[in-house]
Amino acid sequence: MSEMLAHLSLGFGVALTLKNIALCFVGCLVGTLIGVLPGVGPVATIAMLLPITFGLDPVGALIMLAGIYYGAQYGGSTTAILVNIPGEATAVVTTLDGHQMAKQGRAGVALGTAAIGSFVAGCVATVIIAALGAPLTKLALLFGPAEYFSLMVMGLCFAVVLARGSILKAFCMIMLGLLLSTVGTDLETGQERMTFGFPPLSDGVDFAVLAMGVFGFAEVLRNLETPEARDVVKSKIGRLLPDWNDIKQSAAPCLRGTFIGGILGILPGNGAVLGPFASYTIEKKLAKDPSRFGKGAIEGVAGPESANNAGAQTAFIPLLTLGIPPNAVMALMVGAMTIHGIIPGPQVMTKNPDLFWGMIASMWIGNLMLLIINLPLVGVWVKLLQVPYRLMFPAILIFCSIGIYSVNNQPVDVAFTALFGLFGYLLIKLGFEPAPMLLGFVLGKLMEEKLRQALIISRGSFMTFLERPISAGLLLVAVIILVIALLPSMSKKRDEVFTE
Amino acid sequence: MSLNKIEAARGWRVRSTQDLAAGLFMIALAGLALLLSSDLPTGTLRQIGPGMLPKAFAWICAGLGAMLAFNSLRYNGEKLAGWSWRGVIFVLGAAVVFGLTIRGFEIGPLKVPQLGMLVSGPLVVIISGLAAEDVKIKEIVIFAIAMTIGCALMFKYALGLPIPLAPWLLGI
Repeated sequence: MSEMLAHLSLGFGVALTLKNIALCFVGCLVGTLIGVLPGVGPVATIAMLLPITFGLDPVGALIMLAGIYYGAQYGGSTTAILVNIPGEATAVVTTLDGHQMAKQGRAGVALGTAAIGSFVAGCVATVIIAALGAPLTKLALLFGPAEYFSLMVMGLCFAVVLARGSILKAFCMIMLGLLLSTVGTDLETGQERMTFGFPPLSDGVDFAVLAMGVFGFAEVLRNLETPEARDVVKSKIGRLLPDWNDIKQSAAPCLRGTFIGGILGILPGNGAVLGPFASYTIEKKLAKDPSRFGKGAIEGVAGPESANNAGAQTAFIPLLTLGIPPNAVMALMVGAMTIHGIIPGPQVMTKNPDLFWGMIASMWIGNLMLLIINLPLVGVWVKLLQVPYRLMFPAILIFCSIGIYSVNNQPVDVAFTALFGLFGYLLIKLGFEPAPMLLGFVLGKLMEEKLRQALIISRGSFMTFLERPISAGLLLVAVIILVIALLPSMSKKRDEVFTE
Repeated sequence: MSLNKIEAARGWRVRSTQDLAAGLFMIALAGLALLLSSDLPTGTLRQIGPGMLPKAFAWICAGLGAMLAFNSLRYNGEKLAGWSWRGVIFVLGAAVVFGLTIRGFEIGPLKVPQLGMLVSGPLVVIISGLAAEDVKIKEIVIFAIAMTIGCALMFKYALGLPIPLAPWLLGI
């Protein structure tokens, strides 16, 4: 306990310097700004804004990126409530009741409840991360290559099961990501692999190029095709602060949501996505009058929004302690850390304690800032929602182009990104959801390295993955969830959850 | 997903062009990867060679693709929707133009000088803007100039990234 307090005070010492507070503020503000724009989710936002952190030191850069992340997440719920467009998967649930509240002239209360619920969830999640960080890191140090490999296999299995749409297609995307990660020079033998003899490819496919092509450009192409019907709320926003009755109604859902979301978020493989759905279902089951749900029930905003934010934050736990990103956004964080010369993993906490604890402390500060920026600025966000898409996407394009160019100062990279944009568009047309590909791509290199190490230690015997108890346990979990997900009765339920 | 008895009795036929195309696409990509990695040594389990994982992943991709294609004959699914060439050409074309003009290039007889961001920026915005069906020329030109100035101030001065502005005019 005292150790945790010491760590947190170190963290706050780092996060509370004037520069880092400013970076956190800018990150939250810019993240919300871009996140509010419909059709730009957190993945695209972070990919796009990655370059603006290049000039910073690693601690500052990560604080800012984390700010962008939860800013974008929060901006997504604003769009969900006001325009009925979910910025990303986790905001889908918020549209159900949030937008109804907005239509009834209670948009302000919905936004306020979402902000306060997120803040409460964020505070709890920060404490959970601080409490679990040190023990999990100690556990991670016990992990050998075999355990790491099995853990990543398990994470990828979770990602397959929890992805939207067909399981088979999600599986395809993961494998494609893994295949893409093997392009480039082999680290052990120095041999070039699948590079077409083309020099820029010998370092492998650049992470920023892939992410911006598939999530920046391809998304623009997708959005251009489907002119969204924007149902911007015409009525007044109304007062922002929930009254005593609202607070009484939403306090318990908010705490339950935080708990559910926080636990699910720790799961490797995008467990955070499930949080809002689970919370909504539970609130509906517990309610005295379930028929109010879908017609503007405040519990339907408070619960899922808290779950969403708690999950978004605890998703940092696998990344910070084990170095394994659980979803596409965290995969981007890995990319960002690597660009700044930090290899994510258990050693971060021992080698860069200021970075580790500074980032955790800044999460709490960031949540507070979101509360402070968002409520008074709601009017600005509403104005922003009226920017037509015909102006928005050229702005996205110039941003992405300058960004990609700046990663390596290589004009070729911009053309490469366009190529990956085409690739991403093709994937979308074929009904693939590209997010799992990015995860597979980031985990691929690490998986290959660990597989090789494990097999060298075991002298070429695959049994090592089953003989070591932790590794066998992780693989068992992976098999169990795959089997459960493929059971006919479960796959029907899964379809229901994701279409609801 | 599931078919009723009458539908099932009608035998196998293409029930989802999207899934069929997706399956064939995966197989084609896997084929390409196998071709490219064919001369990489596979190695043994004890000493994994550079070719082992690419080949293994490619075979799994091919298998998954075959399953997708096979399922498209058994289950109903989405149809393949048309492409929007307008978006592809203008949006991706704009990015390529940016890449070509920002620092200049030479391909054979074709030479483009280093134009810098003050030219490449508006080009990206205007060319990509043409992809929208409701594009307004005057609006997009003004927007392009404003965005370029904003980006120049932010990336060049506020963030200090080494991006050429207009070397032929300003020398920076």
